[in-house]
Amino acid sequence: MNLISKLLRKNTSRARIAGFALSDFIGLLIVAGAVMFYFDSRGIFGNDDSVVNSDFLVINKKVTSASTLGDRESTRFSANDIARLKAQPWVRRVGEFSSSGFRVYASVDAGGRGMETALFFESVPDGFVDVSGADWNYAEGDETLPVIISKDYLALYNFGFAGSAGLPQLSEQLISGIPLDLYMRSDDGSRTMRMKGRIAGFSNRLNTVLVPDAFMRYANSRLGSGTPEAPSRLIVDVSSPGDVAIERYLSDNGLEVAGDKSASQAAYLLKVVLAIVIAVGAIITLLSFFVLMLSISLLMEKNRATMHRLLMLGTPLEAIERPYRLMIVWGGMAAWLLSAVALVVLRVLYQPALEGFGVGAQGILYALLVGGVLTAVIIVANIFAVRSKVKGAWAMKME
Amino acid sequence: MTRRINEIALDDILPEVFAHEKTPRSDVWRTKLQLRRGEKYLVESASGGGKSSLAAFLTGCRRDYEGSIEFNGENIRSLGIADWQEIRRSHIAFLPQELGLFPELSAFDNIMLKARLMPSPDVAKAEEWMKRLSVDARRDYPAGKLSIGQQQRVALIRSLCQPFDFILLDEPVSHLDEANNRMAAAIVEEEAARQDAGIIVFSVGNPLLIANPVKLSL
Repeated sequence: MNLISKLLRKNTSRARIAGFALSDFIGLLIVAGAVMFYFDSRGIFGNDDSVVNSDFLVINKKVTSASTLGDRESTRFSANDIARLKAQPWVRRVGEFSSSGFRVYASVDAGGRGMETALFFESVPDGFVDVSGADWNYAEGDETLPVIISKDYLALYNFGFAGSAGLPQLSEQLISGIPLDLYMRSDDGSRTMRMKGRIAGFSNRLNTVLVPDAFMRYANSRLGSGTPEAPSRLIVDVSSPGDVAIERYLSDNGLEVAGDKSASQAAYLLKVVLAIVIAVGAIITLLSFFVLMLSISLLMEKNRATMHRLLMLGTPLEAIERPYRLMIVWGGMAAWLLSAVALVVLRVLYQPALEGFGVGAQGILYALLVGGVLTAVIIVANIFAVRSKVKGAWAMKME
Repeated sequence: MTRRINEIALDDILPEVFAHEKTPRSDVWRTKLQLRRGEKYLVESASGGGKSSLAAFLTGCRRDYEGSIEFNGENIRSLGIADWQEIRRSHIAFLPQELGLFPELSAFDNIMLKARLMPSPDVAKAEEWMKRLSVDARRDYPAGKLSIGQQQRVALIRSLCQPFDFILLDEPVSHLDEANNRMAAAIVEEEAARQDAGIIVFSVGNPLLIANPVKLSL
């Protein structure tokens, strides 16, 4: 160790520096650990549906006896209803479902054993469907129509119908490859259309048969009665799907949400919990930053006269700052490296629980990055504090 | 500041603490004074006359004075920290009255601390000066355990271990006997002559015995 370091490290308290490194380590581990867990678990909660974003809710009015008895208007959303919904703070945008105003029949030719069913179509504005543009498109004159169907329909067929009717079970891939023959006609039977259908995706959250909005407009103009009906279902993009305010609004207004909401609620809850954990970790990290700052300040205060004498000899400021900078950098880096090792151990411990969800290496990278950024901030801020202390010693009046 | 300081010009300076007092008759305060490289000056003062203040002004430690001080025509108020560190290393050697030794370091390490700030420290010369000033036997003693007179000699040697245009010595021999005073004066004069530098010695009674200095009273 050179003479300058020897002089300036006098009065160093190893316990205080170790105290900083320990608290910094704990703080970083909590923050980075929460970040890692967030990215690792996001796959479980976020990707339950490849077609519709988990922030979208499909809502409808409850079907009552009155609607069964003919008052179909009672389940429709008026312009007023929609405006009121749009005014809610948790709503980002609202899309209306359009229904087919014509009859639809679909048939499949499965190895010579044909099957035909009556069907219906609905559409939502394209921005709500997460299928890439080329696959979810219709232009007048196209012979093939992309269709998204509910996963439940496939389950009903596979586990309910196919068994009892002696038909083969179908996988998602297989059914996506089977062309559907679609036959559409107006209510009075005067106008008809024939097309091929292709399954473009399956959805957990849309219990309907969805076609592109462009097709719906075209087909309704050709085959429909001409009077557009008010929508009976809406798709709503919400800012936080688990928010209790949404729940309250829906029940107060007699509305229902289609599909499984538990995943988005769990994801929301997870976000809240992780935000709290990150906040606690951040506070601990911040406290560790002050522990280091105070330790170094105290040390430099004790060595102020020494610093002043060294400066009087013409010692460059950098040479005086170096021993303190090294302490800060080594302390910070040690805490970060320790937390990185602990993160790897943590991940090894919880990984078996997440196996099968396709968890990638992304989480740990983000965690290390967050830890690195926090460490860099702590180091840089303390280095600035050291410089200002050294300048303070320079300006000190002669003893 | 890369070129040598040839002249220190004091113009109408006075420590602020003296501003409300009657200015004493002085060759330095409230006058114009040029200190030239290569010359020798002995600044004599009674205690409290402001000699340590003047030394602090000339080494950038304090700025609480009225008037202006210029190095080669440049007002030193405009100099920053880095400029002053460079001046202290390469242009103005300074031995403060309180010596500024590090008591826990040995006499030799105290000298080397300064010498090693220079690109090519002359260790042999430092050891020769220690011998001539009779502190070589105390080379590895902690400076804090030396007598005040020995500490003064070590601090003097340390102040000489650098390139300088002026050397400022604040009461350098107040605790030395005449023999050591003469030896110290001889070493300072030799080194200043070798470096073609100016000598400014402050004294309140026991001056460094340099030959024919310009005498100034504070």
